[in-house]
Amino acid sequence: MILQVERLAKVYPGGVRANEDISLHVDRGEVFGLLGPNGAGKTTLVSQVLGLAKPTSGTIHIDGVDVVQRPAVARRACSYQPQSSVPIRGLTPLQAIELVGRIRRLDRQEARRRTIELLETLELTEWSSKVVTELSGGVTRLVAFCMSAVAPGRIVILDEPTNDVDPLRRKLLWREVRALADAGSAVVLVTHNVLEAERCVDRLAIVDHGTVVAEGTPAALKSAFGGALRLEVVLDPTAAAPAAPAFLASPTRAGRRLIGDVGAADLMVAVAWAKELQRRGTIEEFSIGPATLEDVYVRRVGPEPEREDTGASVAG
Amino acid sequence: MRASLDSYRLLLLWQFRRYRQLFVMTVVIQVVLGMGIVYGLAFLIPNIDPRTALFLSTGAPTLALLILGLSVVPQEVAQDRLTGAHDYVATLPVPRLAALSANLTYWLAIQIPGTILAIVVASARFHFGLHVSSLVVPAFLLVAMTGAAVGYAMASVLRPEVTSIVSSFVSVFILLFSPLDFPLSRLPSFLQVIHRILPVKYMADLIRWSLTGRFVASPGLAFAVVGLWCVACLGVTYRVATRRR
Repeated sequence: MILQVERLAKVYPGGVRANEDISLHVDRGEVFGLLGPNGAGKTTLVSQVLGLAKPTSGTIHIDGVDVVQRPAVARRACSYQPQSSVPIRGLTPLQAIELVGRIRRLDRQEARRRTIELLETLELTEWSSKVVTELSGGVTRLVAFCMSAVAPGRIVILDEPTNDVDPLRRKLLWREVRALADAGSAVVLVTHNVLEAERCVDRLAIVDHGTVVAEGTPAALKSAFGGALRLEVVLDPTAAAPAAPAFLASPTRAGRRLIGDVGAADLMVAVAWAKELQRRGTIEEFSIGPATLEDVYVRRVGPEPEREDTGASVAG
Repeated sequence: MRASLDSYRLLLLWQFRRYRQLFVMTVVIQVVLGMGIVYGLAFLIPNIDPRTALFLSTGAPTLALLILGLSVVPQEVAQDRLTGAHDYVATLPVPRLAALSANLTYWLAIQIPGTILAIVVASARFHFGLHVSSLVVPAFLLVAMTGAAVGYAMASVLRPEVTSIVSSFVSVFILLFSPLDFPLSRLPSFLQVIHRILPVKYMADLIRWSLTGRFVASPGLAFAVVGLWCVACLGVTYRVATRRR
């Protein structure tokens, strides 16, 4: 185990609680997702691991070393891509990536070789010698990723690495993230993008209100639905909303969408119900399929009012 | 030690590359500012005599150094704190002292050419000769370093959102109410007391003494006061840089 976090809490002066009680671990070769809404405490957790913020209580160990006591160890062990911009506005991608490689103790030749390898892998070669201020947000973001990957630490922390990145290069990026884990790093991926996380992470934790509300592999978290299918209907805004049928478990209303669980035995009934509503024009469309990680996420961190007032009726 | 020096060298290279588009412009502004102060203040005093011209010209570099150190430096540092650049560098495996030293070296390098050129131009304009002390290099370095260190400490302690306002205010205060281009005795007594504690007067004394050997009674006191301010401000900056939130 490379990273072990135990009962971490952070209370800022003034009583603002950023973490409540976070425990998790990340192993060598693992891509670990950290999911949660804005303000859930993800960034504070990352700051604590990196030694930028001091926990109020709890421990963080990297390779068995207490990094709350020795934050310099954390800086050597972690390479990091922040969600905010990195200070490279007058540099070229080649210079920026190579500089970080050399700061992280690669020799000049190895830093250059690895920089070129990353730029080629992510198909960024055409921009390698352009000044960063001339590049798009997506390319700049990929350069920041390369800076964290050029000499990867024992832990690689990536905060929203795919923001602004085009779909084709996202695939290349995910392949490189997997390569970092395969080479022995523990990769911590902070993201809001649940669909991407589902495809890319080995395990994940969902954080909300400063605490871990769910943790496990995507499959294990989805299995908490008990094999139920997920029915989603898109309501017609001009028609009266239908009452939730008895077969629909845990109905949740999100905007014009009505989502709920359907047992396998009720599948045909559910399809017939939805088709009838569609024929009448009450709903625009519907879909039915296995539960996704997004369902788990919405169920865990969805807004409280929605979770509460959809139990008895979906009207309104 | 070797690793720390390598980190310093690489971070300095980073800093120069990062600001390379601004570097030339900032140096030119420093030159124009230094010369502008000399020429501009001379308009206030018609029929300027050689002694006054020398006094004005040797106060101008201090003013130019202070404006950069107390206005440009804190605004750049505040900008880095707002954009997350400051935190990013703090996550790199480099000693905090190496990062701070690299930044200060950059600001020193930006200040020196303009300062020297301004003095040379002023000397040609007002036809005075300089009697340069053997301690001119440490005196200039200490004054430039202290200006940047005060700016750094200010930006480290203040919230980034207010740094810009405070640094602008401090610059104007120094421009109008500091005995850089006029003697301390002309100020009201309460400002005289304040300036016996602040480093501004002593910075001007050091530069003036190191260039002319005149006007200053005790250069040793000036070295001591400016040195103390420099160490104190670097200490505050280092303390803030190593403190975890």
